[in-house]
Amino acid sequence: MPAQNAREIFRNGLLGDNPVYRQVLGICSALAVTNLLANTLLMGFGVIFTTTLSNWTVSLLRNYTPRRVRMIAQVLIIASYVMMVDIMIRAWAPDIHRFIGPYVGLIITNCIIMGRAEAFAGKNPPWPSLLDGLACGLGYTLVLIAIAVVREPLGFGTLLGYTLPARDLWWHSWTIMVMPPGAFFMLAIVTWFARSQLDQKQEKTT
Amino acid sequence: MNKNSPIYVLGFMAALCAFFGTGVSLVHYATSDLLAANERLNHNRVICDAFDLPIDGQTPADYARAITESLEIAEATGANGNGSRRVYRRYDDDSGQLGLPFSGMGFWDRINGFITLDAERENIIRLRFFDHKETPGLGARIEEPRFLDQFDGLTIDWDAPVPRRVLIGTGHNADAPNRVDAITGATQTSNSLRDFLNTELERIRAIDIDALQFQRIDDTEL
Repeated sequence: MPAQNAREIFRNGLLGDNPVYRQVLGICSALAVTNLLANTLLMGFGVIFTTTLSNWTVSLLRNYTPRRVRMIAQVLIIASYVMMVDIMIRAWAPDIHRFIGPYVGLIITNCIIMGRAEAFAGKNPPWPSLLDGLACGLGYTLVLIAIAVVREPLGFGTLLGYTLPARDLWWHSWTIMVMPPGAFFMLAIVTWFARSQLDQKQEKTT
Repeated sequence: MNKNSPIYVLGFMAALCAFFGTGVSLVHYATSDLLAANERLNHNRVICDAFDLPIDGQTPADYARAITESLEIAEATGANGNGSRRVYRRYDDDSGQLGLPFSGMGFWDRINGFITLDAERENIIRLRFFDHKETPGLGARIEEPRFLDQFDGLTIDWDAPVPRRVLIGTGHNADAPNRVDAITGATQTSNSLRDFLNTELERIRAIDIDALQFQRIDDTEL
């Protein structure tokens, strides 16, 4: 695989074709888990783990998979990786699992994973597919982190569980930031900002 | 071999299922001790919280110690339909508070909880949940303090018919001492909880507490 291709795949997954603000995929979990950074990081880990390995596996099997059952096979592969990551989070981070557990299960239906398996991994060799999955997972996680680092301090006055300095003296929590509307506002702001930056860059290059 | 032949398709899917089934089983097997320990910790935490026991720290040993130093346990046969039910009682003070697990069908799956009552079983002290699979953001809000705190000190109206001894969101009198607000948008979860909680309270009431043989809890059980 030429180095240029690898760079391009990564740049597309992270920025140009970012699954959240460009393809508008994975929005449900992006809204649900971003009120705490710790939850966001674990959800991101789950999605990166699943997109990377499912892309790689789908690609490895692409020449052996009968076309008419390819989507069933993809769902089976994705579901297996999701179950593995669900068990791992339940074992090592049970408190966080109590909150994000239902959303971890929903990674199976996350459009990013199925979308990349169908659009990229089914047509490309294993290593580029693995990179594509990794980049898309990272792109999703970066957007979620950008939302969470605003929502958690504004909503709870903490960051990664650590209280902001002298919070009680100057801080009043914005409850709306903990609730779903706060996620909608932040997602819209991040999408607007990222898209306007990308459009400006594109205009300059053309 | 023709990739579209039924035999190939069946063989391919069977191999895929076998491979990934084995993979998931191996991950589960490798973490089973950790999962069991987490399950025990959650169980002990819920009991400590429901009885409002004093805890020295946050470690599993701290929760286990709080239980062994404050609670005794008995097995009430025939108190859970045809099965038995564990009954916990405080012995570190004179309150004689009782704690019992309860369970029933929610909207999606079983909801398992723990309820503490005063010695006369007239009032609920606290109600907590071990686990449930209700819809996140809707039915799952049954474990939010805003909902749970309503049960603190709630009177059970034993004179009312069985399904109305504790009211969740129903009844004309919003200020009734046996009523809590339901969860908006989670009517099915609220109704299911109301139904099975009342059924379970009826079974709990039938237990002859004085006839039970309470014993101190061995910390190896926790």
